[in-house]
Amino acid sequence: MGDLISIKGGRDGLRLRLDDTAEWAHLMSALEQQLAQNSGFFAGARLILEIGDRAINDEQMTTLLGSIQQHGVQIEALGATARESRNAARASGVTARPLPRYSEPAQPAVQNEHEGMLVSRTIRSGQVLRHHGHITLIGDVNPGAEIIAGGSVVVWGRLMGLVHAGALGNPNVVVCALELRPTQLRICEQITRSPDKAKNLGPEIARIEENQIVVEPWEGAKRG
Amino acid sequence: MARIITITSGKGGVGKTTTTANLGTALAMQGAKVAVIDADIGLRNLDVVMGLENRIVYDLVDVVEGRARLRQALIKDKRLPELCLLPAAQTRDKDAVSSNQMIDLTNQLRSEFDYVLIDSPAGIEGGFRNAIAGADEVLIVTTPEVSAVRDADRIVGLVEAAEKGPPSLIVNRIKPRLVNRGEMLSVEDVIELLAINLVGIVPDDESIVTSTNRGEAVVYDQTSLAGKAFLNVARRIAGEDVPFMALSDQQGVLERLLGLFGRRRA
Repeated sequence: MGDLISIKGGRDGLRLRLDDTAEWAHLMSALEQQLAQNSGFFAGARLILEIGDRAINDEQMTTLLGSIQQHGVQIEALGATARESRNAARASGVTARPLPRYSEPAQPAVQNEHEGMLVSRTIRSGQVLRHHGHITLIGDVNPGAEIIAGGSVVVWGRLMGLVHAGALGNPNVVVCALELRPTQLRICEQITRSPDKAKNLGPEIARIEENQIVVEPWEGAKRG
Repeated sequence: MARIITITSGKGGVGKTTTTANLGTALAMQGAKVAVIDADIGLRNLDVVMGLENRIVYDLVDVVEGRARLRQALIKDKRLPELCLLPAAQTRDKDAVSSNQMIDLTNQLRSEFDYVLIDSPAGIEGGFRNAIAGADEVLIVTTPEVSAVRDADRIVGLVEAAEKGPPSLIVNRIKPRLVNRGEMLSVEDVIELLAINLVGIVPDDESIVTSTNRGEAVVYDQTSLAGKAFLNVARRIAGEDVPFMALSDQQGVLERLLGLFGRRRA
């Protein structure tokens, strides 16, 4: 992702962080581009929006929220240092809270992607696990559940739902599971589904090779 | 102090109402004071299944909106004086009641009964949310079908998110012959996916249809396998350790009955 926009994981969920010094129009077009390019990651997401020191008025806030919502993203809360921005958010019906000044410079998403997340539970039908970095899950992913990661996905259990790795555009990621039989498997922009007559071969690993998703047994992958 | 247990499923038509009626009856037969509540406002059924439809004067919405006292709306069962029904309103819809009103209602019943069973509507919307709002425990009914199990899984997630603790499970309408032939999901398959505590396996049984249409609980029927299964579930809910009936070794219910007749004739 560009330097103007980044995603960070926090204790309360994912944060979409916008640069607070760039020109407004420039920022808006960068945002639009990011959301459109990575629709697989953003559609259906609930995010916290951080705009730093930037002061924006009611009209700008409406435009900003509108263009974000258009991509199926719900903004749960807004973090801003400027009171004017927080008032504008409240006027649009979004919870707003003060934000400490950006302490570190925005990092490009490529770096963020290495942030991992470890989850230990069953992901059930209708539940979505979404993270901008890698996801390691100890437990099953039941049919109807979704795992969406910017990085790789490792499931110590049965992966039976939908999985999307590299959802922020990185094709060099893997999906592996003790039992890999997802309803649908997506890596970056490639989509595949499990064969109709699935044999249980033990742990398997999926990755992209020559623009195709290739799945092989973990044993084979080790030798290769 | 009553235990408040909501019976729900996600998918419709898997046997929530039948389960509520039979567990309520079975628990009352054990001597417990039981209230069953029909939370399916607008599509009420529990009164019909229990054969109490013609006794309804006031309903749940009348109580919530203050037109009747709770005591006036509770209908005594035909046979068991310790069993009461609070019927749903038929001419209103799910929006007639709020979650807080349901919590108040269950709290009013808490001091007077040992068990309060709530029959939830299908779905995951307001009606379902109201039905679990006041619950201490949730009991999920599913049938061994992929679609029903999928919905049950969704419900488990929602119940856990509502911090009701892990729900328990009844697998309804098992057909042992189909399971043996590998043509139906087995109880083990269902448990493996849902990973929650099993409290009942109820075989598919034609006596359910006849007893339901007559407005009588199937647990009264000594010959019914489903009736026995519901009695066992009630004992497990009450804390007894009851082994599960061995269904897989038996023939179908029909064959068993034919077998009985055959022997008599011989």
